[in-house]
Amino acid sequence: MTKRRKWTAIPGLAALAVGAVLLSAYSGASSSQGSSPVQPIRFPHTVHVQKLGMNCLYCHYTANKSMDPGLPAVSTCMGCHTIIGPDRPASDLGPKRHSVEIEKLQKYAASNKPIPWIRIHKVPEYVHFPHMRHVNAGVTCQTCHGQIQNMPQVYQAESLNMGWCVNCHVSGYTEQQGLEAAGYPLADTAIIAATALAAPGATHAPVDGAPAGPPSGPSAARKYARYDCANCHY
Amino acid sequence: MSKESRSTGVRRREFLKVLGAGSAAVATAACVPEKTGKLIPYFISPDETVPGVSTYYATSCRECAAGCGLIVETRDGRAIKLEGNPDHPVNHGALCARGQAALQGLYNPDRFRGPMVRQNGAWKSATWDEALALVGQHLGGTNAGGIFLNQHESGSFPGFVDQWLGAFGMRPHLSVDDEVDHASIEAHRRAYGVAWPRFAFSEAHLIVSIGADFLEGWGASVPQQLEFADARAKLESAPRFVYVGARRSLTGLNADQWIPCTPGSELAIANFLAGRGAAPDERVTGVRPEVLDALRTELQAAKPSLVLSGVTTSDALEVATAVAALNQSLGNVGVTIRPADAYTAFDGISPMSDVVDAVEQMRAGQVPVAFIRGTNPAHWLPKSLDFAGALSKVPFRVSFSPVPDETTELCDVVLPDYHSLESWGDAQAARGVIGVQQPTMDAVFANTRPTADVLIALAKKAPAAAGRFAAPDYRTWLISRFPGGETAFTAALARGMAPGTIAARPASAAAATQMRRAPALQTTQGDFFLVVYPSSTLGTGRGANKPWLLELPDPVQKIVWSSWVELHPDTAARLGIDRGDIVEVKTASGSVRAPAMPFLGVRPDTIAIALGYGHRARGSVPAFDPKASANPVQWGYGRYARGLGINASDLLPAGTDATGQVVLTATRATIAKTGDHETLPSTEGSARQHGRGIAQALTVEELQRGAGPEREEHELVGDASHAFLPGLRSPVAADAQGILGAPTAADHGKDKGLYSADDPRKMSSRRWAMTIDLARCTGCSACVTACYAENNIPTVGAPWQNATVFADQKPGLNVTRGREMNWLRLERYYEGAPDGHFGEEFETRFIPMLCQHCGNAPCEPVCPVYATYHSPDGLNVQVYNRCVGTRYCSNGCPYKVRYFNWFGYGEPDRKQYAFPEPLNWQLNPDVTVRGKGVMEKCTMCVQRIREAENRATLEQRELVPDGFTTSCAAACPSRAITFGDAADPAWTVTQLAQDRRAYHVFEELNTFTAVVYLKKVIHPASEAQTAPAGAAASPDTTRRPAGAR
Repeated sequence: MTKRRKWTAIPGLAALAVGAVLLSAYSGASSSQGSSPVQPIRFPHTVHVQKLGMNCLYCHYTANKSMDPGLPAVSTCMGCHTIIGPDRPASDLGPKRHSVEIEKLQKYAASNKPIPWIRIHKVPEYVHFPHMRHVNAGVTCQTCHGQIQNMPQVYQAESLNMGWCVNCHVSGYTEQQGLEAAGYPLADTAIIAATALAAPGATHAPVDGAPAGPPSGPSAARKYARYDCANCHY
Repeated sequence: MSKESRSTGVRRREFLKVLGAGSAAVATAACVPEKTGKLIPYFISPDETVPGVSTYYATSCRECAAGCGLIVETRDGRAIKLEGNPDHPVNHGALCARGQAALQGLYNPDRFRGPMVRQNGAWKSATWDEALALVGQHLGGTNAGGIFLNQHESGSFPGFVDQWLGAFGMRPHLSVDDEVDHASIEAHRRAYGVAWPRFAFSEAHLIVSIGADFLEGWGASVPQQLEFADARAKLESAPRFVYVGARRSLTGLNADQWIPCTPGSELAIANFLAGRGAAPDERVTGVRPEVLDALRTELQAAKPSLVLSGVTTSDALEVATAVAALNQSLGNVGVTIRPADAYTAFDGISPMSDVVDAVEQMRAGQVPVAFIRGTNPAHWLPKSLDFAGALSKVPFRVSFSPVPDETTELCDVVLPDYHSLESWGDAQAARGVIGVQQPTMDAVFANTRPTADVLIALAKKAPAAAGRFAAPDYRTWLISRFPGGETAFTAALARGMAPGTIAARPASAAAATQMRRAPALQTTQGDFFLVVYPSSTLGTGRGANKPWLLELPDPVQKIVWSSWVELHPDTAARLGIDRGDIVEVKTASGSVRAPAMPFLGVRPDTIAIALGYGHRARGSVPAFDPKASANPVQWGYGRYARGLGINASDLLPAGTDATGQVVLTATRATIAKTGDHETLPSTEGSARQHGRGIAQALTVEELQRGAGPEREEHELVGDASHAFLPGLRSPVAADAQGILGAPTAADHGKDKGLYSADDPRKMSSRRWAMTIDLARCTGCSACVTACYAENNIPTVGAPWQNATVFADQKPGLNVTRGREMNWLRLERYYEGAPDGHFGEEFETRFIPMLCQHCGNAPCEPVCPVYATYHSPDGLNVQVYNRCVGTRYCSNGCPYKVRYFNWFGYGEPDRKQYAFPEPLNWQLNPDVTVRGKGVMEKCTMCVQRIREAENRATLEQRELVPDGFTTSCAAACPSRAITFGDAADPAWTVTQLAQDRRAYHVFEELNTFTAVVYLKKVIHPASEAQTAPAGAAASPDTTRRPAGAR
């Protein structure tokens, strides 16, 4: 038919679009929760944390002293991977294996290039998130980032929306919650809290054979964080 | 089917297409997650830095000769903020606006990316090898007459250059500084044996300045301002300050009394004050003899006193010499004038006579090669001297300028230098103290090179000179000569200074060049005396490529992005000239056209124009296009400076004073209306307070009598409590969520949450507040630039930053339309002279106006989206991400301190973007860059509060009282601003808020502000001292209520 009548559907569609925008704005659909990009190197947190028992702070070295959690420099990776090459002989860790990923890493190192990781967790630029305040208050990494130690490929476990942040700030947080978020079986939390939590800035990845300590429970004290806007938005 | 679909009007296929497009649009608009990106780690992480935590370097400021100490805040390898070094003997932690704007020199987008050479008249890029080979060729021959002009800097570099020049058979270089007062330096040398003594303002009982603008670039302005503010802060025992001069500069406006003498009569006045003869005739000086008699009597009685001279007439040296003799006879030397504490950075400046001689040698063809570094004589030398013509007679010209300035455009090769924040160096900070200069970051443009290293490279290529330079680079050369060697040098870097002395080059005395002496002012032709003066923000032009300084309102006229011609309102009325009328000013040497600005502080027989503007390219450069992917080299001092205003030096004759300095007050001029008009871009609404009592003052007697009643100029209206509330009794905690929210409910309606004193977070235990002492404030505006630097405030005045639709390319148009973003502005109000006639005394009040962080804020309840609210720790907060831009808050604000982002100044893809690469490297990562349509305002540097809290928590301690402060307070060279927690008596601000001079602006509105001002204290002249010419004004004109003009 005529061109003019053809476009009569536009206002209706426009209204639909506006509706969808409003709906999505309030539904949290704009969050990138669940996003799990393929990284240039398939870095297995599972191996490094679960099998090798490395502390998060070994690589994310400023999470307890800066706004910025810190990313390991290529030289940090190469600290071990100079020795641990792509070809693994058979051992108690497993059979003989060739790792393409370590090969990639060594290529980056050889060409003096940093690894262009794809960012997963990002709060908007008008939000100031001080990592050190959270880490030092006993908020385990997993509370916000999910159980990274179990993720063969890291994904965004939480929505990182403001309501999600404020919820914790208003209703408070206990160490028990942090340990649970980190994936400890409830029975273990008492022991771990007494030992691992003693040092400020410690993070909590479950390790085998946690040393025994006095069986006091994790601090039940609820910690409250500020939640007025200017605490994060300025 | 096809029939059916036709009947509906939309075919299925098309419907699906549209639906698809619509869904895609919805998806794009609504479901795009927060833009992520790449996370690039270090390859090898540097040892000394923590990502996200600032690293601080101590270095030296090179923006003027004084050589203040700097602390440079760097974040992740980029310099983001400059502050004064608190331990430095010169500036004691303060820093002026020009010093802070050095960052915009470092990140200036118009810097050369690499060397360039001129071939057949056209500039083209070259490699360093090519450029150096070219320079090397010209160094091969005989260079005996070669000239090296270097912007004066103290320290080792002058000696290094001389050594290099010597290796090539050239004479020592000229250490040029066109902004210092050569006549005063010469007079100081003769009388006190030093180039620039310390002036102890606090010791004086009377300060008399004869044209010496010691607060704005006359000598070491930061330490002079620190001491002057300390003197004024003595209140009852503060020295009275009398300013003698035809134009009342910023320094003059700070004076208690202005003696407006005729230009050129200063020598007669100085001689009279020194006790020689009777008071000069009023026909000579334009001042009633009784006034001068009274001043002389006062000077004799008030010992010690301090008399300063900074006139710019052809007899400047004679006046300075007479004043030095006067100081000696009054016994001021050693008391208020301290040669022993001299500012040694002024040693070694070449006399201007040598520079003028050099220009003449160039013209005579005696100069085979010229090197020019850091100075731009093609702009600051008067056109009548024809520097361009002289330089064109030099066969080979090398510029080391990092920016495309006028002089560089006349050269053959550019070897772009590093910025001082990127390079090694040192400065003679004070007697016995070496200030070090170290790179605070890697070079912004990797293909630039520090001049010192270039000189070494050139020497190594020349067989004759190679042996003299063993060091591989300048740093090694510096260390090899540093007292104590490498260990001492490394240790000095941490503090920014070390004990020691660098031998200054012998100061050659100014040769008396009577030949070029400017004729006496009285003998020139014209209706008006023309006073040309360096701008206090742009200097003679060096600052004009930095948008912060262009957007910084002139401290006196509050004009931005434009030149202006000052004339007295009486004159303006007589000639029928209105503010903004374009006038043509003509002298024997040239003419300029600029808008007129009536100003009370200039004699009716005088007009005044500031230097600094008027940068022009010689060739034609296409207008700067912000949307173009690449613009050509921005000749004419860069995109911001080119074409802005007029160069007042075009009006000056080539005459010099006895030191060879080009005379600025040199000639008379005529002024004529052209019939054109433009609105002067200005940030001021009114120059008068209209009884609002914004900037309040007390006379000394009132102060001594006790607090006394409200001053009469403050016409309180309404039903307010007129008594000042001691301290800060803001009802913040109660009001914000509780009592006023539900006044009748037993529990006041609801849980007060964070605002409750019982809340475990203890946020309401603090009350951030500020006091501003108007007795100290001089109006210098350093705080304004400090605020821009700290808070990512965009500048909005560039011609291309106006609206897209109906685009107007006029510079400063956004400011004319009230769109400037100065969170902290310096208001300037005149009191007295209600009719604006000459002869009536007037007084000037300066007041920094910023968000008052009201406890009972009018802006808060009107926000429909709760984007502005009162935080439990006493801040009035603006939440950018909540703001939808209704601007109701701005309507509600009685202080007019809220600023709206009319355009996307913070959005890189818009033409109004205020931070073109690499200016955006300076942005403070702790502060959000605001987008279009968002309201913003002073946050009391909330990012600094949070940072201090975070650090304290990290170190498991409480905040240290006075342990941190806001950016404005840190910069203030008058120490007028004090910030702190008014709920804790351990902070200084708590005591200051209780001061007897304390008041709130618009107290009657019951806004319960968190900013407390302390009234200015004025020392009015007695009847005999003023005795104004003409109309019989009452002695207390200064205290008369200001009438509406």
